[in-house]
Amino acid sequence: MTILFLSILFSYLGGIFLPLCFPNREFIQNTMAHGLASVACLLGLVLGYEGLTDPEPWHIALSSNIPLLELSLRLDRLAAFFLVMISLVGLATSVYALGYVTEYYGKVSMGTLGSLYNGFLLSMTLVVLADNAFFFLILWELMSVTSYFLVVTEHEKNEVRYAGLFYLVMTHIGTAFIILTFLVLFQNAESFSFEAFRQSGHTVPERLGTVVFLAALIGFGTKAGIVPLHVWLPYAHPTAPSHVSALMSGVMVKTAIYGLIRVYFDFLDGEFPWWWGVVVLVVGTVSALLGVMYALMQHDLKKLLAYSSVENIGIILMGIGAGMIFSAYGFPELAALGIIAGLYHTLNHAVFKSLLFLGAGSLLYATHTRNMEEYGGLLKRMPWTGLFFLIGAVAISALPPTNGFVSEWLIFQNLFLAYQIPDILLDILLPIAAAMLALSGGLALACFAKAFGISFLALPRGSHAKHAQETPIPMRIGLGGLAVMCLVLGMGPIFVIPVLDQVSAEFVGVSVAERILTMDGWALTTANFASVSMPALAIMLLALSGVGLLFAHLLGGKLQSRSYKTWGCGLNVTSRMEYTATGFAQPIKRMFSTVYQPTIKLESEMLEESRYFAKRKHFDSYITPFFQQYLYEPVVNIFLRMSDRLRNMTVAHELNLYLGYVFAALLVVLLLVR
Amino acid sequence: MFGNICLIFLQMVVILGVSPFVVGLIRKVKAWLQCRKGPSVFQPYADLRKIFCKEAVIPSTTSWIFTITPYILFGSTLAAGLLVPAFFADMPLGFAGNIIALVYLLALGTFFLILAGLDAGSAFGGMGSSREALVASVTEPAMILSIFAIGLTAGSTNLNTIVHRTALFQGVTTDPAPHLLALGALFIVALAETGRVPVDNPATHLELTMIHEAMILDYSGRYLALVEWAASMKLLVFLSLLVNIFAPWGIAVEATAGAMTLGLVAYLVKVSALAVVIGILECTVAKLRLFRLSELLGAAFILALLAVIFFYMFRG
Amino acid sequence: MPVFQELIHDVQGQAINVCSMFLLLSSFAIVAQRSLASCVSLYAMQSFFLGFTAMVVANASGVHHLYFAAALNFLIKAWLIPRILHRAVDRLNVKREVEPLVNIPSSLLICGGLMILALYFSQPIKQIGPLLTNDSLALGLAIVFIGCFIMISRRKLVTQIVGFLTVENGLFLLATAITYGMPLIVELGVFFDILVAALIFGVLLHRIQDTVESARPAESRFEEVGEVAP
Repeated sequence: MTILFLSILFSYLGGIFLPLCFPNREFIQNTMAHGLASVACLLGLVLGYEGLTDPEPWHIALSSNIPLLELSLRLDRLAAFFLVMISLVGLATSVYALGYVTEYYGKVSMGTLGSLYNGFLLSMTLVVLADNAFFFLILWELMSVTSYFLVVTEHEKNEVRYAGLFYLVMTHIGTAFIILTFLVLFQNAESFSFEAFRQSGHTVPERLGTVVFLAALIGFGTKAGIVPLHVWLPYAHPTAPSHVSALMSGVMVKTAIYGLIRVYFDFLDGEFPWWWGVVVLVVGTVSALLGVMYALMQHDLKKLLAYSSVENIGIILMGIGAGMIFSAYGFPELAALGIIAGLYHTLNHAVFKSLLFLGAGSLLYATHTRNMEEYGGLLKRMPWTGLFFLIGAVAISALPPTNGFVSEWLIFQNLFLAYQIPDILLDILLPIAAAMLALSGGLALACFAKAFGISFLALPRGSHAKHAQETPIPMRIGLGGLAVMCLVLGMGPIFVIPVLDQVSAEFVGVSVAERILTMDGWALTTANFASVSMPALAIMLLALSGVGLLFAHLLGGKLQSRSYKTWGCGLNVTSRMEYTATGFAQPIKRMFSTVYQPTIKLESEMLEESRYFAKRKHFDSYITPFFQQYLYEPVVNIFLRMSDRLRNMTVAHELNLYLGYVFAALLVVLLLVR
Repeated sequence: MFGNICLIFLQMVVILGVSPFVVGLIRKVKAWLQCRKGPSVFQPYADLRKIFCKEAVIPSTTSWIFTITPYILFGSTLAAGLLVPAFFADMPLGFAGNIIALVYLLALGTFFLILAGLDAGSAFGGMGSSREALVASVTEPAMILSIFAIGLTAGSTNLNTIVHRTALFQGVTTDPAPHLLALGALFIVALAETGRVPVDNPATHLELTMIHEAMILDYSGRYLALVEWAASMKLLVFLSLLVNIFAPWGIAVEATAGAMTLGLVAYLVKVSALAVVIGILECTVAKLRLFRLSELLGAAFILALLAVIFFYMFRG
Repeated sequence: MPVFQELIHDVQGQAINVCSMFLLLSSFAIVAQRSLASCVSLYAMQSFFLGFTAMVVANASGVHHLYFAAALNFLIKAWLIPRILHRAVDRLNVKREVEPLVNIPSSLLICGGLMILALYFSQPIKQIGPLLTNDSLALGLAIVFIGCFIMISRRKLVTQIVGFLTVENGLFLLATAITYGMPLIVELGVFFDILVAALIFGVLLHRIQDTVESARPAESRFEEVGEVAP
């Protein structure tokens, strides 16, 4: 295993340094960087597989000269699961990038892009393997910084720089809270090694435990993009090159989920008051709902996907929160079910979100715009991309027979099983959370019907879309692989559940796989309360659609059809008659106007001769960015005002005052260290 | 094994065969109430047969989504129909999906229908799709919560188990209140999901009001026939859910020929009765404005929530 | 015949449950209703179910003066007061609650939340006594809350009056639930008070209409006035 790990490490390192050795040979740089990344990801899959099957966690440690820092890595089941996920998505994006980055030839230094990409992948891989808090933080920062540089790839644009800065600030606020988490744990364990955290986790006093809980939730939550800490995400994720967006949205946010599970279930040993679980559940529910609601209002495809990541993180947290509640009330089996559901959705979201982001990248590649209002009719021009995107859209809308359905179904069942909890408030709260999950599922369906329908169907709305062409083969391979994974993960809970069960069994101590999988693994069952069989559903869907075909032939004979223009009340249908993305979402905007607080501005300038004919009309409609306006801006303003005042104090015109400050500072320091 | 296959086949025949009848019956009831004679109850069969034979006109703007949607819609609705126990309480396919799977199967059909509506490129299709997306998403919470209430009182979300237990009076007799409330909620949801009157008017082709008809405006020939058939099957699925969850009396519990026949007759009577109720309702209630929909579905949500609350309250 | 008695007990329990369900539903229906006349009718329905609950409780507990309270309930709250209010509404030109302060779906959801809160608050009290009508405690509290919410969130005087009367109904249910009703004399007093209050409200509504015919005071406390004027 060590050899395997070293070869992964060296592949990535090669991917980082080799492209820099061939300046201005873009093809070689591209092939080298992404080829090596692909190799590393393949090896990562193997290592992850080994980690999942090996009974004992693999461990390696190097001491260093820096005190408290120990370069130690540990591959337990949880880490292995996340390693598999990172490598799987990384493989697809690397293959995809081989074709995609040709778009950037001549605009961006290919060497830098390639080496940053490899650095990003490497840091994510190491983050989940790290076994020392200090080391973890260094890698976490490395991950943030490399992703920041990737976000600002097109730094000559103003909004890109803004997004990058926003991301950098937010992610550092998050890191500060993670540091706080680890410091509290360090104080208790008197060591930075995760092993020590694990040993002493249950001795953390309750009040400090609460500090750890909240700090970890805020710290990792910032990275994950939970509401209201999500504000940076819809700026940063879309501005990065699409294969990096896919990694950020599909995988990087999941490292935060990894961190949360590690801290709550591994370090704190699953011993916590029930309200922690409620907080996580509520945060998850709110994120899921608001995330998808804001996603619906976007007509920038990548921004839409970014908001939808907020939704899916919420769904994952709902599973984990429910697991925490059950764990606190002493139902280890249900807790295991919650964690399994959460992890399943983590994997699923990684697959379909990166699929959709790569699909959005293909559209960007073909049309040079992210605005959905200029797409249309692309299914005819890009049939493969369209098919793969459709599979992703079906999966993210949680429809059978794809993977999104399985994990949401499990979360539903988990929330329903709340009736066993002896607290009437929770008995009612959890079903309401399930109802909200259903609402967000319904809205996600609307959202992705819009995303696919407006982009790929009917007539092209812009000239770019009219002349779009299918993307190069590597890009289609990347997409296709992920699309197949969506279907495989959907049909094959029989393979996935036992693996996840072993991951959760590490913390919960109970294995539930045999009880979830019944009928030789063909069906999923939860405590005699519900059952579903994905293969059976898929077969039924196929066979019964076939019955439809059969009827059509039996009753209608041979197909007689003719192609004719769409009926448009006697006019020829043009693209201007089509529904737009904005129009599609308008009824929903109106029904949930309490959430959106939409503002509409209509300015018209009339002709001088007559006030019935308009010379010019300007229509503007936007929704209030609630959290930015009412939560962030006031805080930022306070800081700005404070710093203004501070500057006025410090920018004195006399040298004496400065000397006075220095002397006062010295006195204070001496007082403190006395 | 052979018996099971026969059962599945029989169920399929029942769902396929009865669904046009239900639509015809509702139309007939409405006609009577409007002092018209109305077409025969079996008119929808003749209509289907006729449309199947017609030439299909396919809009030139469309892609393969448009032509594949009728088959997916048909398949997913029929699959949902096979999950609901109609005349026999132990359907062999019961393991394949519980009531949530059924909801999501129907949602799959809706998803593709929304896409097909957008595919033709006319404003009508887009309008229908956009409204259908709204209705489909806001009915979800009330639906899931009422399902949960049912699951609580019956102790399961598997349709076979629910129907079985209700039919044998296990668990339901102790607390009628939650059951009644859940029935109310699910009834409203069923009306919204199947596009019946307070939400959508299946008899209209007025662009201001139509939802389902607007989406399928560009369909013709066999595609239209499949879509229409699927729509009536969806109605039948919801009717079967309502009657068999809340009043499964007469349903066959044992696999004997006599019990089955009785179950079939009882099923037909119950479904027809509910169809008559819907017909009467459609004549007496005005269609709601689209944006008043939230009030109706808010009420359904509250009913379902109260059902859950009452369950826990009376459980003690 | 212990089995038979148990069955009777069971039926009584179920009857109370179903009654209290309708009681609560009528309160929610008032929240969801725009038409003022329907609000009043729903109040009548609510009072009817309240009287019915009181009757069943009287039967089950053997506290006979509850029969009397139930009869008064039917007479005054389910018949007389709605009559007075209906006549008042008929004379007003305002028939609908046009723009409530909180829109109807949100109102319904808020009331659902209030119901959960009521349930939560009543949990500790519930443990004290094993009365037959234990669940009514939470329901009574919820109806009081909903009545308060109606008074807060609606603009029209008639709806506010209905809200007030709903609060009173909730209190009656609470009294029945906790102590099997208050002493008869107190009960009588309360009924009388309510009747007088309704009469005063009715007269007040007419007065407002009569005195302020043409003026349109936008900031008036009684908004009916403004909309009455042609």
